[in-house]
Amino acid sequence: MRAEALKGHLDALILGVLEDGPLHGYAIIEQLKQRSGGSLDLPEGTVYPALHRLEAAGQLASTWSDGARRRRVYRLTAKGERELGQRRREWSTFVKAIDAVLAT
Amino acid sequence: MTYLETLAGELSAVGIRGRRRARILAEFADHLECDPSAELGDPSALAQQFADELGTALARRAAFMAFAGLALAGIFVGVGFLTAQRQVFASVVRAGSPLGELGAWLAVLGGQVAFVAGGLAGLRALRSRQAGVVARAAAVVLVRRAAVGIGAGAVTMIGFALTAVALIGHVASWWTTLTLALSGAGMTALLLTTPALIAAARLRPVAAGSAGDLSEDLGPLMPRQLRGRPWAFALTTATAVALVVALAGVVQADPFDGAARGLVDGLACLSGFGVLGRYLGLRT
Repeated sequence: MRAEALKGHLDALILGVLEDGPLHGYAIIEQLKQRSGGSLDLPEGTVYPALHRLEAAGQLASTWSDGARRRRVYRLTAKGERELGQRRREWSTFVKAIDAVLAT
Repeated sequence: MTYLETLAGELSAVGIRGRRRARILAEFADHLECDPSAELGDPSALAQQFADELGTALARRAAFMAFAGLALAGIFVGVGFLTAQRQVFASVVRAGSPLGELGAWLAVLGGQVAFVAGGLAGLRALRSRQAGVVARAAAVVLVRRAAVGIGAGAVTMIGFALTAVALIGHVASWWTTLTLALSGAGMTALLLTTPALIAAARLRPVAAGSAGDLSEDLGPLMPRQLRGRPWAFALTTATAVALVVALAGVVQADPFDGAARGLVDGLACLSGFGVLGRYLGLRT
């Protein structure tokens, strides 16, 4: 799937990946690839600006990990959880509408 | 030059410096350690994406914070006026204190500028909330409105406190204490918004585009006949304000004073539009 097709959905995908627990940047990108069976192949660097933006918007929070390696670990905030729920509802409505048109 | 060095230079070029830049570089360094062959993308395009997305989010947050801080400060001022035993400004006139008159003027003028600038900051932020990226010019307008709103709000709080001090001996002492406490609380609410404002002023998007004007802020609320005619809108608004203030004078059985105050308020409204209109993105 091309990066252009993902435009507008990246935020929801990131929030969805972090629903299961905190992850650092590289792990988030790996999860996106794994969960989509390799279909979501976006330029890896573009995920980081989105992570910073979501944090500035209060949907994510981040801290440095205590491990041997200096890593920024992101987690979903309560606002992020609400946003994810909203995005899921919107996506469901969108898919139903497109399906209804294409199925005819 | 390594990828990280190039990225560091590009981040600096778009205004991302200090801790923010160090953090981004640390995250990219970690990514490259995990996968040395990772294709992270063009450093210049990435730096611009960081500036656009972060600059937009920070400008919007500053505008919302300013709106919330001003709303809270406005409630405090409202409580002060509602608990006053008699007309505060009439008491100032009777007291004949220059300090009180200065305070009253600061509170009245500052309050109106804060209301307009803060309200428009909140409105523009709300209307652009779905946009991932706004143009640099639009972000500048958002931050200016928030800053002017907060500054004018602070002037209002100072004016309110000066009024209370000038009226010592003319009003109940508990009201003076309450008003000073409310002014302090209002000022604190405004000061708490300044970190968001400073962060937004430091990092701005680089995307090209126009700042928009009042028609963009008001959208369908702007009468069709006045779209693209900001001065006509300002004149209509000033006339409406003057009429409302004049009518209030009639209701209070003092039509001449009402008409005079209406005229002054209407002219102040037009002057404000003339002085601050372009700076706050109300007209192009």
